[in-house]
Amino acid sequence: MSDKHIVSAFDRDLEDIQSAMLTMGELVQAALTDAAQALKTSDSAMAEKIRKGDRLIDGLDQTVKTETAKLLALRSPTAGDLRTVLSVMEISSHLERCGDYAKNISKRTIAMAESDEIEGSLSALVRMTAFVVEMITDALDAYVKRDLTKAKEIIERDVEADQIYNTLFRSLLTHMMEDPRKIAVGMHLHFIAKNIERVGDHATGIAEQSIYLITGEMPDDERPKLDSSSLGLVESDD
Amino acid sequence: MNDMRQFERDVKMTNTKITARSVNVHYGDTHAIKDVDVDIADKTVTAFIGPSGCGKSTFLRCLNRMNDTIDICRVTGLINLDGKDINHKSVDPVQLRAQVGMVFQKPNPFPKSIYDNIAYGPRIHGLARSKADLDVIVEKSLRRGAIWEEVKDRLDQPGTGLSGGQQQRLCIARAVATEPEVLLMDEPCSALDPIATAQVEELIDELRQEYSVVIVTHSMQQAARVSQKTAFFHLGHLVEFNDTDQIFTNPQDSRTESYITGKIG
Repeated sequence: MSDKHIVSAFDRDLEDIQSAMLTMGELVQAALTDAAQALKTSDSAMAEKIRKGDRLIDGLDQTVKTETAKLLALRSPTAGDLRTVLSVMEISSHLERCGDYAKNISKRTIAMAESDEIEGSLSALVRMTAFVVEMITDALDAYVKRDLTKAKEIIERDVEADQIYNTLFRSLLTHMMEDPRKIAVGMHLHFIAKNIERVGDHATGIAEQSIYLITGEMPDDERPKLDSSSLGLVESDD
Repeated sequence: MNDMRQFERDVKMTNTKITARSVNVHYGDTHAIKDVDVDIADKTVTAFIGPSGCGKSTFLRCLNRMNDTIDICRVTGLINLDGKDINHKSVDPVQLRAQVGMVFQKPNPFPKSIYDNIAYGPRIHGLARSKADLDVIVEKSLRRGAIWEEVKDRLDQPGTGLSGGQQQRLCIARAVATEPEVLLMDEPCSALDPIATAQVEELIDELRQEYSVVIVTHSMQQAARVSQKTAFFHLGHLVEFNDTDQIFTNPQDSRTESYITGKIG
């Protein structure tokens, strides 16, 4: 049985939106990795470049949305095709948000360029970024290869990203309590940590879309939440 | 967008109207239907889809014994309507067809007045005792066919003078005039323009409140729009039978997927 549509333009349309989405994925991964690097080295020029580069990601997201709307209207996709179109729309939104986080990290990098580091926090943030970027890489890989096992495994992995965030949160809080002069930079670093933690949630979202694409059903069981960072003060909003 | 239609017309569809078991149809040496089992629910629109020659029309025609009229056609297996075997020798096919009405691809009104087109069936089946009775049946049927407002002032004019879409609704009104329980439709919209098609589809959805409707259609979008259950036929087999939304979002058989996504013809 052929995998190709009788109307070959349909195949091209489906390929186009998927490749635009995957290009977005590459840009987002690069933006996040570079943002962490710029943060570590206090490289304002690089941060500025990332900040401006987000426009490209937003533009691709718009392209994906316009093209999927057109595809829905003109080709009335069904079954696997429909799930492809719907998942591309969702994943593209997840990636667009991740791009925004990279931009936000860069803005904060520029804002704290002259400040002193809070001990150990920058390398922890770089490690955390590498961890969630790998989640995105693997989630997109699971999507491309229609790999159900891998997609499920990524959802489990998010717990670890949450743990890294919680540890960092406590450490930043301790530093800020000890030395109120560090509050400004501590807040920036905390927001950055939260942004990176959110990227992990979006990677999970991408993995969930891959599961929907493959099985036709959204995974329903809530993944285990490990949020003890709040110390009774705040509630996680995800 | 919410599917308001299903929201508004939520009727109980758990009762089985037609049960088919191990149905086989041969045209001479050609094995057209192969071991088909299916349960068709009451007050439900069931769509039969599949490529040309897959047997969907042949199977539809088994449900009111229209294949009896083809000499070389042989039907075996069991088809029950409300638990009674429709192929039993005690069943009169003419009575059966009053119970299981049919609408065809091409509108085929009788070359008679609009009134007589509707009155013909009730007359031969003795459903009206007087002219007044018949008038009531004609109006009721034309209303059910969603065409009353358009023809009430010209009931004496020939049915063949109506537009294609009106003719088809007239044929649907004619089919419901004998108070059938099941309505079979063999591509009822393929000769109609999109507006007339939409009117017939709206009508089908209204008819669902009172009848079990089975529709054969080449338009998968039409099947998706009007039916609650969809059966996919391929090479004489019933490949998949499930809720329509399931068939169109997550079919279980790869052949169904290939067909509805336009990968096999």
